Amino acid sequence: MNLENDLKRALRRESPPAGFAGRVLEQAKSGAAGSQPAGSRRRAESSPFHWWRAAAASVMLAAVLGGYALHEVAERRRGERAREQVLRAMSIASEKVRYAQQQVREIGSH
Amino acid sequence: MTAIAPETADAGSPLPQARLGDHDAFAQIIERHEAMVYSMAYHFFNDRGRAEEIAQDVFLQLYRNLGAIESDAHLLFWLRQVTTRRCIDLTRRARLKAVRLEDVGELRAAEKRSDALLDRRLRALIEELPDIQRAVVTLRYQEDLDPSEICRIVDLPVNTVKSHLHRALQSLRRRLGEHR
Repeated sequence: MNLENDLKRALRRESPPAGFAGRVLEQAKSGAAGSQPAGSRRRAESSPFHWWRAAAASVMLAAVLGGYALHEVAERRRGERAREQVLRAMSIASEKVRYAQQQVREIGSH
Repeated sequence: MTAIAPETADAGSPLPQARLGDHDAFAQIIERHEAMVYSMAYHFFNDRGRAEEIAQDVFLQLYRNLGAIESDAHLLFWLRQVTTRRCIDLTRRARLKAVRLEDVGELRAAEKRSDALLDRRLRALIEELPDIQRAVVTLRYQEDLDPSEICRIVDLPVNTVKSHLHRALQSLRRRLGEHR
């Protein structure tokens, strides 16, 4: 017995069931972008459809950044208004203190 | 992955057209290599259903990677390497043994001839070998590759490949003797 010859015979190539190539091709065609050949994927990436998607993404980003900037401005104005109110309250209070001191001085001089 | 020297595709090769997305050219590639890929998986698992699934997966992976295939020689190397790795990975992930009913029927019919019976015994014994020995034996005797070619596919030193081959043949001889 020649084992090597027997192995060559036992391991000879066999064809897959009929229609194999067609089934693979159908799966390849129906697959998502992930199963496209690399060449056609590169072409798809430079198609106008992708430019629209990039443009839409840019508009969204601009809207988000614009909204953030408006929010920042409103916050700053609110802060300034609060500061003005505090300063005015302090000025009124110090005026009242001054008036009270003056009254005390006048009473003392009588 | 071991590098293959860039070569131009053979005249009349469907590879350049397939790389541009031509489905007919890709179908030609499948038809040229389907028996090799399917048989490698079949001889590894001794299971026709699993062999067909693996062959489908390998060709779908090829479809996604056509842009990286440089030549017909590279394509052949790539298919052998990816099929071998997939078979070994699947064996390591789940050590399942399935025999489909249609295989059993086919084998019973084949047993009428002594060569077919010996073939069946050999394939069953190969299935019991450690995964790397199975891969080496399939590449040696199905694909008729010598150890210096096999070592690039399985990414092992050539002496390790020779050693696996030697041990596999010893094991097969011993077990064939036990079955007689």
